[in-house]
Amino acid sequence: MFDLLEPVVFAVLALGVIGSGVCVVILRRITAQALLMALTFASMAGMFLLLGAETIALFQVLIYVGAITILILFGVMFTKQDERGYGLFFQQQTPWAAALVIVIALPVTFLAFSFKDPITPSAKGGDLIPLAASLFTDYAFPFEVASVLLLAALVGAIVLVKRDEG
Amino acid sequence: MTVPLGAFVAVSAALFFIGAAGVLVRRNAVVILMCVELMLNASNLALVSFSRRAGQLGAGNPLDQRGSVFVVFVFVIAAAEVAVGLAIILAAYRNRPTVNVDEIHEMKG
Repeated sequence: MFDLLEPVVFAVLALGVIGSGVCVVILRRITAQALLMALTFASMAGMFLLLGAETIALFQVLIYVGAITILILFGVMFTKQDERGYGLFFQQQTPWAAALVIVIALPVTFLAFSFKDPITPSAKGGDLIPLAASLFTDYAFPFEVASVLLLAALVGAIVLVKRDEG
Repeated sequence: MTVPLGAFVAVSAALFFIGAAGVLVRRNAVVILMCVELMLNASNLALVSFSRRAGQLGAGNPLDQRGSVFVVFVFVIAAAEVAVGLAIILAAYRNRPTVNVDEIHEMKG
């Protein structure tokens, strides 16, 4: 009975990820889309937990579910959203697009299911210590570069939206 | 009974295709930004799954976390990207009040 817990949790999370992902693309109410995107990210955090990557799941909740969703909601709030529908949905390219998707997506699906290795639970102690050790020793220089990138993005975002005085 | 690696990779591929379809189909710049975030997140799932597999196969260090380290950098890039992307959308919106990418067709200020 307990054996089935992991597949059931995985099925619920996969449904959450794919269902709300499809809704983000299809729906036309922008606030609902933004919140469904947050649901996708939260389900994805559950998947990271299932994979035994607790630290990544925590970052996912903090950065994606927290910060990025709020930023997107600010973007929604500051701009006027018109009610125009899909641009390209019902045009003549649809059969070609479907054919192209089948050509690309089917091989990718078969390739994905060809990995059959089981995922076993991680070792005791989680992934925080090896992750931190790797990040601050082998990848210390990329870490610093990433911090400079964040600073540049911060300054750039402020400069881009700053109103000209007078 | 454990979930095979392929299931995680399949979910990741599905979400990536959903995001790509959204980027191509939708015309609202904010929605396009959301779909790009979905694609980035799908790539994160694939990276973490393969990182788990590489750690289990005993290829070198069992504490190998290179995939997860890469995911941390993807988080940083995603945060920077959404901040600058929204700033660009707002700057373009101030110039011409629309978020429809069909109507934003010139870059002249």
